Amino acid sequence: MRMAIQDDFPILQRQVNGHRLIYLDNAATTQKPSTVINAMNDYYTKHNANVHRAVHTLAGEATDGYEACRTSLKSWFNAERCILTSGTTEAINLAAHAWGHPQLKGRAIVLTEMEHHSDIVPWQMLAETFGNELRYVPVKQDLTLDMEAFEASIEGAGLVCVVHTSNVLGVRNPIEEIIEIAHKHGAKVLLDAAQGAPHCQIDMTELGADMMALSAHKMCGPTGIGCLLVNEDTFQEMKPFMGGGDMIETVTLEGSTYQTNEHRFEAGTPRIAEAIGWNAALDYLATLNLEEQHLRLLNIARHVADALRAMGMTVYGRHDDEDSSVVSFLHPTLHSEDFAHLLDACGVAVRTGHHCAQPLLNRLGISGTVRASFYIYNTMQDADEFLGHVGDILERFA
Amino acid sequence: MTYPEQLMELIEDFQSIEDRMERLEYVFDLASEVNELPVEAWTDSTRIHGCQSEAHVRVDIDNNNVRLYAGADSKLVQGLMGILTIAIDHQPIEIARNLTPDFAMTMGILNSLSPSRSNGFRNMFDKVMSEISEEE
Repeated sequence: MRMAIQDDFPILQRQVNGHRLIYLDNAATTQKPSTVINAMNDYYTKHNANVHRAVHTLAGEATDGYEACRTSLKSWFNAERCILTSGTTEAINLAAHAWGHPQLKGRAIVLTEMEHHSDIVPWQMLAETFGNELRYVPVKQDLTLDMEAFEASIEGAGLVCVVHTSNVLGVRNPIEEIIEIAHKHGAKVLLDAAQGAPHCQIDMTELGADMMALSAHKMCGPTGIGCLLVNEDTFQEMKPFMGGGDMIETVTLEGSTYQTNEHRFEAGTPRIAEAIGWNAALDYLATLNLEEQHLRLLNIARHVADALRAMGMTVYGRHDDEDSSVVSFLHPTLHSEDFAHLLDACGVAVRTGHHCAQPLLNRLGISGTVRASFYIYNTMQDADEFLGHVGDILERFA
Repeated sequence: MTYPEQLMELIEDFQSIEDRMERLEYVFDLASEVNELPVEAWTDSTRIHGCQSEAHVRVDIDNNNVRLYAGADSKLVQGLMGILTIAIDHQPIEIARNLTPDFAMTMGILNSLSPSRSNGFRNMFDKVMSEISEEE
């Protein structure tokens, strides 16, 4: 049965390799509703101009559109400050440079084995410069973080970087407990919410996170834009990272002064159309009951995980109530890349490989998985057709 | 370009298959065409870099003829190795080194693969050709 939501996403009408497209690569990027595509098209056809300084009408409209995204994000996540970036990766790199460089000298950084490369490499680079000790919290056999090891590693740390929800396992980490322990020991917390933000309503202030990074394209928005949400105390400790237009107040040959608001960290012409598109995506998501959607998708993920296990696959995930609807799996003999090629021939889009989380896969003793990830436009029919194709593939190729 | 007879037959076979799944099935079947390079013989020098799976090749020259040994943990990749085996194994060096990767385009097989797999095929081809040159 076709859902009304599917009609909002034009790409879902297309055929791939002679089959109806079943798009299950949502943890990598989600599809865009017409409202987002139209908002960006509308900006370029009616309002295109550079933001902030010019006084003409178009510039005013562009500025309003760009800043409306920031306002919406602050409200959506109940955040004090919102710095627009190119995505989660740039947001974490910004945190490392703008906050980490001045604040973390000589202090340890606690990371986890569950992190995406984007939340490991910037800190390794920082550590190469300043000699910070990096402490990694292990992942246990049950695919959760070893909280005893976390508590043991926190002493003397200046920062804890933790993924809200794993992009490989879908496991939602005990963020509240991590923040409480970190703050008790004087460490700040950066949340990688790239996977968590699309699946649940995160209240940053209520959680007490100090920094939070996320991307628009994983929540129906365009690629090329994300943000670093920051609480006021942390914001005041940050030093400008990139210099140039838009982040300055005055420039003389002797030196420069900088803006005091978020523009201080947004050097150069920003992603105006993308911000307008993201704002439209938030408006779209606001029309849905995300909590209901989360339960519906989790139900689909559990159904798929059970069926795959029954077909002899190993499924890496537990699908608890707060986990995301990601199903990572492996067949004992059919290579994950081969599986993805064969599924593609059936019109099914899934992801394979290490999912930019090699330390986690090393811990699991594997080099890659097939990952099917579900989002708001996916239905039980998608899941059952996917499972049907998996069954056919096993019959012919395994 | 004219191709050796056995390769020409393979190209015609592939061109006659329109269904993508059937093409992939045919590639899978060709995995059995490789002279197996056992896992124990896989080293850094046999590794094909740029492949998303573990893929290894070794070239020997026997009486001026190319002998290709290959292995991969992906059956699809091993099938591509099988295609290259059919193209150049037992062929005189002079004929093998004149082959270009265009035959895979003519065959249409690269269209059935992701860009990363197509690049992997190109890397495999380049490594084999470079080893043939070294062995000469």
